[in-house]
Amino acid sequence: MTKQLTFERSYRASLKDVWDLWTTKSGIESWWGPGGFAVTVRKLDLRPGGELLYAMTAVGPEQVAFMRDAGMPVTTEARVTYTEVVPLQRLGYVHVADFIPGVAPYDVAHLVELHSSARGEVRMVLTIDAMHDDEWTERAAAGWESELGKLDALLS
Amino acid sequence: MHISAFQVLSDPNRLQIVELLLGDEHAVNDLVARMAIHQSGVSRHLRILEEAGFVRMRAAGSKRLYSLRADRFRELDEWLDRYRELWNARLDSFGEALEQKQRRRAQKRRRSTQ
Repeated sequence: MTKQLTFERSYRASLKDVWDLWTTKSGIESWWGPGGFAVTVRKLDLRPGGELLYAMTAVGPEQVAFMRDAGMPVTTEARVTYTEVVPLQRLGYVHVADFIPGVAPYDVAHLVELHSSARGEVRMVLTIDAMHDDEWTERAAAGWESELGKLDALLS
Repeated sequence: MHISAFQVLSDPNRLQIVELLLGDEHAVNDLVARMAIHQSGVSRHLRILEEAGFVRMRAAGSKRLYSLRADRFRELDEWLDRYRELWNARLDSFGEALEQKQRRRAQKRRRSTQ
């Protein structure tokens, strides 16, 4: 079975522009939310162990109706914990995937790598690992580790 | 799907058990002989895998034989597929946001040079 998901995209852009979309308030708000949802960044602490807190608000009529019918508030808060921050090169974070109906929330590790190519393009590689290993765990914030500890206790 | 599915498989010993069981069902002792940990550890990991639905046990005489449950792994694959779709859509938005940003800057530059 698949252990990781990998996505590759190339853009005619500067490294800084691509990096800023991932790491600044206005950048994140410009694309992060799924269609019909607006994202507002509430806190952005870009360093290993730091957190990104944001609110996702249904704004499209369909999405508003969906959330209301599902008995959910139109605004939900979410959290990302950074694990690795190397400006213009690497961004690692763990994020709870909690949006899939019928599936309990998971902590999923994400790594964004940026490479500048000779043709003046930026190659962006996103690796998503839902079964992140010990190395990821070690890099993660203390809070995240205590979450894992709780899980271990549940499992043993 | 239970919260711990990926956590269950992220443990290297448990992943090794899964890999050993890929070919065939095995008794605990077979697994212990192929692994670097003691029987108590192997039994504990098998119990965790069984509780999470990845492994099933059947008794054959005095032996307990363990094998994989394909349905559980298929579920995980489906989950990953949905995640893949979500990210493809999100990266499309990323590309559009990037283009818009560049377009806005180009317009500004044009205005300032006029």
